Amino acid sequence: MSPDKESEVNNRGFLRRRADLATAGFEAAESPMLVIGPDGEIAVASKGVGIMLGMDNRDLVGLSLEHLFVPASSVAHCGEEGHCGSSVLRQLQVRHAKGDIIPVEVQCSPFVAHYEGVEPGEDPQRNNHCLMLLADIRKRDHEDQMRAARLAKLSLLNQVSEALYGANLSLDQILEAVLICMTAGQGLRFNRAFLLLINETGDHLQGEIAIGPSNAEEASRIWKDLADQPGDLFEMMTSYDQSIKQTDVAVNEIVNHMSVPMEDQDHILIRVMADRHVLRVIGATTIPGVETVRRWLGCEEFAVAPLTTRAGSIGVIVADNAISGTEISDLDLEFLQMFANQSAGAIENSRLYSELEQRLIDLRKAHQKQKDNQVTLMRMERLSVMGETSAIVAHELRNPLVAIGGFARTLMRNLEEGDPNRQYADIISSEVARMETIIHDLLDFIRPKKRLRKEVVIDRIVGETADKFQEELNDKGIRLEMNLQTNGIALAVHPGEIQQILQNYIINAMQAQPDGGRIEVCSLLVDGGVKVEVRDDGPGFAKEVGDKLYSPFFSTKTTGSGLGLTICAQIIKSHGGVTGAENQPDGGAVFSFILPLPRNDPGT
Amino acid sequence: MSKVLIVDDEPHLRLLYETELRRAGFETMTACNAAQGLEFVETMKPDLVILDIRMAGMDGIEALQRILERDNSVPVVLNTAYSSYKDNYLTWAADAYVTKSSDVSELLDTVKGLVETRAAARN
Repeated sequence: MSPDKESEVNNRGFLRRRADLATAGFEAAESPMLVIGPDGEIAVASKGVGIMLGMDNRDLVGLSLEHLFVPASSVAHCGEEGHCGSSVLRQLQVRHAKGDIIPVEVQCSPFVAHYEGVEPGEDPQRNNHCLMLLADIRKRDHEDQMRAARLAKLSLLNQVSEALYGANLSLDQILEAVLICMTAGQGLRFNRAFLLLINETGDHLQGEIAIGPSNAEEASRIWKDLADQPGDLFEMMTSYDQSIKQTDVAVNEIVNHMSVPMEDQDHILIRVMADRHVLRVIGATTIPGVETVRRWLGCEEFAVAPLTTRAGSIGVIVADNAISGTEISDLDLEFLQMFANQSAGAIENSRLYSELEQRLIDLRKAHQKQKDNQVTLMRMERLSVMGETSAIVAHELRNPLVAIGGFARTLMRNLEEGDPNRQYADIISSEVARMETIIHDLLDFIRPKKRLRKEVVIDRIVGETADKFQEELNDKGIRLEMNLQTNGIALAVHPGEIQQILQNYIINAMQAQPDGGRIEVCSLLVDGGVKVEVRDDGPGFAKEVGDKLYSPFFSTKTTGSGLGLTICAQIIKSHGGVTGAENQPDGGAVFSFILPLPRNDPGT
Repeated sequence: MSKVLIVDDEPHLRLLYETELRRAGFETMTACNAAQGLEFVETMKPDLVILDIRMAGMDGIEALQRILERDNSVPVVLNTAYSSYKDNYLTWAADAYVTKSSDVSELLDTVKGLVETRAAARN
């Protein structure tokens, strides 16, 4: 061993001893610290320094500072400054055991070491120590960056919220803005974002809109484009329109497939809405629905944030970094949550606004309709008054015209053939006839014919009419039997009139059996027509009465005008049918009518 | 000769119908309202009644009912300016209805037909 070497070892031993004696506390310290001896060698190295440099801290003791710092010359005067009694801050670089260069901030200050059994001031050497605190600047840089990012995102969030609430954006525009902020470089920086909302019927969570490039190539182009944009939301939206819109076809195809029934409560997307908390999915998981979402996205890791309003969740945002593969950080999640809350509010607002707008439009329409109706009503009222007036005038003119025209004809007949006055009388009568035609047409026009016939199923109208008497018949102890057999034949009749006849027949039958009995209503097909009968179990009618039954005002009853059966006969006659009345062989009367079937015309 | 009672409150129409019916060979009598008409039906026993529907006081429909209550064998022709008279069931008891027209030929034909039918029924 050379004397030099020997002295070094001795020195080391001395230093070690000193360190053991005085600085055991330093050694265990987590923060990186060194104690430098007067000769510029490391006297003590804390555990923190070892961690920083990737070595055992005790192995550092006795080494020269130049071993640690690069370039070695940068620490040339380090110790001396400390020794001079003032504290100095410097930025230097150290070398990690693996060769990495780590930027550090170094603070040197004078340090008084204690030796066991030696009083300060006795050893001139002991005041020449220096305490060196090291701080990894890298970490601080990272923290600074994080702070900056947080600030930028907060500012964007603020901008977005102002934009979303302040500007009068449509729902589509809001959804678009939300997704832009999700993906833009200045925003949350997700690669892709998918927005799902609960559909109108409330039974499904449905994909609405998505944004994001479909491959890495496209992505780098767009992100470069967007990186050049200033961070203003509106400019971002404009640039989105220009550069992204054509490229998000692929993601929008994905979003169109996204649909989850609301009743699937365990599904991750539905659960996130219920829990109202953002969720990051990474690696193996047993949550139902994750695999479906992964299949949709084609990507393992994704984040889901609920769109929550005061009234409840209205949907979710799903975001991933499928293109870049970047991990979704806690910060990303934190902002995603905040951002989703903002967006949900804006979406809800916009929906309420458009609902209001729609209601306003509906109200305006209703108002306009009412106004139109009023105008129509007024016009109709005026027309109606005009119509009534002309009807009255027409009627009043009719009688005088009959007299004028009638006498003109009389006059004409009284005049000799060849008398010129005959021609004048003829003119008067023909002109009057013309006026009468005008009046006739006018009255016909004003009073449309009321008695319209329509096709009715005979069995149905007979059955329904008889049914109406059911209760009354029950009360009187009369049993109603129906035997309808015309197989749904329909005839063109005036339904009200046919009902009137049946009512008359049934009332007659009822009155014929004041102490109860039976009424049978039948319908049957007869030659060329349909026959309807009402049979009763009453006493029947006297023979001499039979012929008069259908003549006007004939009645065997003490009350009533007797018009009933006469009217029946007239009605049936106007339908081209006949009425009948006869006594049954075993007692009781049968009143009937026959309606003709329309003639079969082979030509039509 | 058959007796025809004309009930109408328009004097000129009464005169027109009288003129034309006489020319056609009928004996005529006139009443200027429904009440008088009813009286004449009882006292003069006409073979046929021409009854206007719209008259001041008792109208033709009520008169029709009262006439038929007393003697439902006398034919009654309702003569009216209304084309909607058929809407009222009460008019259905009349033997015929003729719409008022300056051409009285329809009225004359109806009267002739009814009188002949009645005469044939009696014989």
